[in-house]
Amino acid sequence: MASLKAGSKFRSAVCDAQVMVIKAPAGEHTLLCGGVAMLTGTETAAAGAAADPAQLGGTLIGKRYVNADESLELLCTKGGQGGMVFDGAALEIKQAKQLPSSD
Amino acid sequence: MQLHGRRCTVDAPGVAGDYATQLLTDLGAAVTRHCSALATPAADAASASAFAALSGPADGPPVRVPLPLPALADGVLAALQALAPEAALADLDGDTLLSERAVLAGLRRNGAIAPGGHCRLLAAADGHIALSLARDDDWHLLPAWLEQDCVAPGDWAALAACVQAYPANRLIEQGRLLGLALAADQACPSMPVPWLRVHAQAPATARPLPARKTPLVVDLSSLWAGPLCSRLLQRLGARVIKLESLGRPDGARAGHAAFFDRLHAGKQSVALDFATTTGRAQLRALLAEADIIIEASRPRALRQLGIDAEAIIAGPRRPTWIALSGHGRSELQEHWIAYGDDAGVAAGLTSLLHRQCGQHLFVGDAIGDPMTGLHAALAAWASWRSGGGRLIALSLVEVLQHLIQQAAGAQAPIAARKRGCSSVDSGIGARELGTDTAAVLAEFGLR
Repeated sequence: MASLKAGSKFRSAVCDAQVMVIKAPAGEHTLLCGGVAMLTGTETAAAGAAADPAQLGGTLIGKRYVNADESLELLCTKGGQGGMVFDGAALEIKQAKQLPSSD
Repeated sequence: MQLHGRRCTVDAPGVAGDYATQLLTDLGAAVTRHCSALATPAADAASASAFAALSGPADGPPVRVPLPLPALADGVLAALQALAPEAALADLDGDTLLSERAVLAGLRRNGAIAPGGHCRLLAAADGHIALSLARDDDWHLLPAWLEQDCVAPGDWAALAACVQAYPANRLIEQGRLLGLALAADQACPSMPVPWLRVHAQAPATARPLPARKTPLVVDLSSLWAGPLCSRLLQRLGARVIKLESLGRPDGARAGHAAFFDRLHAGKQSVALDFATTTGRAQLRALLAEADIIIEASRPRALRQLGIDAEAIIAGPRRPTWIALSGHGRSELQEHWIAYGDDAGVAAGLTSLLHRQCGQHLFVGDAIGDPMTGLHAALAAWASWRSGGGRLIALSLVEVLQHLIQQAAGAQAPIAARKRGCSSVDSGIGARELGTDTAAVLAEFGLR
């Protein structure tokens, strides 16, 4: 279980994926990548941690990932093979932001 | 680089002629100077300059920019004219191209706020940064950027107060991870910066298709720099197809209409659904038909659509691929984004002005956009004329740094020519999204 704060970074314990939290509900939650809890700060992967072969949907750099009610939003800053699961539900890619009308 | 000793004649006075000569020499041309007009006296040029009015505080007189940007833009036009002597470009001038959005949309100088209003200079704990928040949605990234929820969307004053507590480096690093367009206010490096980089050159093909008399341009870009590039190519005789994603069209369609019309008049509009296999196949097929492709996406976005620029330039048409970016295409920089105003700050224009007047100010209106569009048109035409098959990258920041470096030292009078707005395309609007989709797909057998 982990608390997810906007701006905090998580990385996969079993692949290269890294994400930044854009927004998240308060409280303690589970965030998995490749079926294994993602790591933050100085945490290190448990010895023998291995990806669940059923959880290798992939995470794409630059994409934003959300849960069903979009209370959680993560930005992938480094891609990896694992797919992400938040509180038991797989995260989906959020539609790309529309282009700005001017700069 | 690519013109292989081709001879051309530059007809422009002063700074413009010098810069045109240098650009063409960079491209490998053998340049002869010729001058049919005298340089405009500096005082006249400055007083008539719409561009000069765009830098400075809102409540005071304009601040003189110690770099003759309109004359340098004239230099790019003179180089284009030298490569395409038959084209009628005489109604275009640098001052107008650099200031046309501001003139059409009524944008004015506003000190540390860019004329367009979306980019601001903010004081961090140890220096200034420029931050562009071009979309309402960008404000929702700020809690993650600052790791605290201290700013309501749209509240620049609260944001400015909050940012003061952070070192600039921390803001830049976290902002880049989030995909924010931001830059440190820093001086231009002294190491020479090239205005273009040839990233790939396709090997010679045994049987390339016969070249068309005028190129077909497929323009995937949006906003200003890329559309200006294709508009200039259009003026040189190219046929331009503006190709957009149905799900994510050019956002500028919702921006200032007269400016959009100015950039897009006379271009065909094709819209495809990039989310479908058919749409992506049609996209790849149209790219394969092009002689010049213009895009301003991050490389990963195109890779995720299954588009490989290196493979496309090796196709039978040997197209020239013009890749526009904020900061360049190298492994680290390819992920950073920039808009025209923050690119000016990143390149060192704000620092240059600060050394002269002691104030933190923007230079021009989204200056990185028109300057990059001009240079991109020159690169595209030169590459097309010399056989194509190249992936050429230009970045907003590097083009501006190249300009700063050219003019450091050369404090020549500001000899910009001034011819007023182009009348050729007036009265013709941009086409509605997808107007030409069916006709173009049918023409290339892609139904």
